[in-house]
Amino acid sequence: MNDEKKYYAGLDIGSVSIKAAIVGDQGLIASGLIPSGGHYKDAAKKVMDHALAQAGLSFDGLSGLIVTGLGAESSPFPARQVSDISCQARGCSILFPSARTIIDIGGQFTKAARITPEGRIADFLMSEKCATGSGRFLQVIARILSVPLDEIGPLSLQAEKPVEFSTNCAVFAESETISRIAEGAKPADILAGVHRAMAAKVSMLVKRLKLTPDVVLTGGGGEDRGLALAIGDALKTEILVPDFPRLSAAFGAACLAREEQTTKSGGQNARPRNGFKAAL
Amino acid sequence: MMPFAGIDIGSTMTKVVIADEQEKILASHIGPTGAEHRHLALKVMDDTLRSLAHSRAAGVGGVVSSSTYGKSTSASPPPDRLGITPKAEGNDIVKEITLENLDFIVATGYGRINVPFADKQITEITCHARGIRSLFPSARIIIDIGGQDSKGIKLDADGKVANFVMNDKCAAGTGRFLEVISETLGINLTDMGDLALSADGIVQISNTCTVFAEHEVTSRLAEGAGVAEIVAGLHEAIASRVVNMTRHLGIEKDVVVTGGGAKNKGLIRAIAGKVGFDVLTPPEPFITGALGAALVGRDFYNRGVRPAREREKKEVTFFT
Repeated sequence: MNDEKKYYAGLDIGSVSIKAAIVGDQGLIASGLIPSGGHYKDAAKKVMDHALAQAGLSFDGLSGLIVTGLGAESSPFPARQVSDISCQARGCSILFPSARTIIDIGGQFTKAARITPEGRIADFLMSEKCATGSGRFLQVIARILSVPLDEIGPLSLQAEKPVEFSTNCAVFAESETISRIAEGAKPADILAGVHRAMAAKVSMLVKRLKLTPDVVLTGGGGEDRGLALAIGDALKTEILVPDFPRLSAAFGAACLAREEQTTKSGGQNARPRNGFKAAL
Repeated sequence: MMPFAGIDIGSTMTKVVIADEQEKILASHIGPTGAEHRHLALKVMDDTLRSLAHSRAAGVGGVVSSSTYGKSTSASPPPDRLGITPKAEGNDIVKEITLENLDFIVATGYGRINVPFADKQITEITCHARGIRSLFPSARIIIDIGGQDSKGIKLDADGKVANFVMNDKCAAGTGRFLEVISETLGINLTDMGDLALSADGIVQISNTCTVFAEHEVTSRLAEGAGVAEIVAGLHEAIASRVVNMTRHLGIEKDVVVTGGGAKNKGLIRAIAGKVGFDVLTPPEPFITGALGAALVGRDFYNRGVRPAREREKKEVTFFT
């Protein structure tokens, strides 16, 4: 019997940030996140080094690695690639065994997936045609309001009278925002209005998939509490959010790498629970 | 008989046309709508009437005294802005045309409700159709590309509106698309069309969404693609969006492109490429809606319709 501990990594190369996660037999032990910038390869190397250092490991100490995300092709490490939604599904179903629907709101795309109790994709839809349903909409409006991205959520919770946009287009909403500011609308009310517009768009996507609770929200959008509440209102259901929503795909990739190895060697592994909480 | 006025308050430009019984344009005015446009309906009307009076006084009646961007071109406007002053012109005593004595005033465009002195408010679909019918009796399809929306209008053999399609939900396929991206590129909106015409090829823009296309343009530039070729690709993208929308109506000859988009030669070429034959453009595409509004007013008047109430001269504000 081999009692040497094994470690597995997941690397998620996204358009906005690159994430790395390392899991052991019991769950997440290290992670990292940095902006993607113009050089995916350099940034990916950097974030992986950071996670390895946190875990006290060298790259050769890893027993498996899976790469995912829009920029998976740019991985500096040779590894198997798995679609980000599969990794997301795996990660979320480990964090929340009751999850049946996943909404991933990234910087550029919004994805919705229905998953099986085993954490596999049953159905999947993506919104890539229009900025309104994506994080980009929020970025555009937050820029006008000069509100940093991580303050959008808390600020929006102070809204008293959310602005109702007459348009669903991010470009038109931008000019509408300027008129509303001129009329005296508060930034909190404007952001809450943007959340509602986004939630309407996202919930349409989810309803096309057939809404199946529990619903988990991940990606950068998951860090915005105001958005999570707006989506919950639109779907009339509670929304679960991982502690570190931007890391769940990297975490899922690492878990898939671990499962791959244990299946290959015929071993059985207890399913780790609440990886994020265990690690951080 | 006195002339008729049409005022078209668009999202970007405000247009006024004063036309006579023979459908001849006596005066026109084009100015930016701007943020203050809601106060400006009366002012642009005044400016137009003043430049008309000026050209008539100078004995050039009938010449289109179109003012360009911003202010009216009249050099020294008469001090009494709405007064009736009889003027001698040859042997005739010509009454000055004022807001009060115009036979009919029709307002159109998305700001039409903000024109308190208009006798009627008519949709821009009807007005564009009427204006184009006057300029091009052979027109069957009108494509109107505005600053914030785009429309396709089908006319029957009598020049009446048979059907229309409209996009005001999404900036793609409207003037806004080019406006946003011209800012990103640091190129004047009015130079975009010629730049597209100078391109050696086309860089396809795969994103429909303006926000995403903006990002795509930056990436293509970073990859070393030529600016002119990218701009040509943007024109292709708008053209295919408006033409595909209009296809629902059944495209047939003649196709007239109007609105601010028709000023852009690159866009006209791209649209002609998509429909498969040459398209027509009015001499002054900005004013076809206002011209149509004036002519719709003329038609009303000739059917015996008279202004229902005294024209209010006050400036309205939108947010009261």
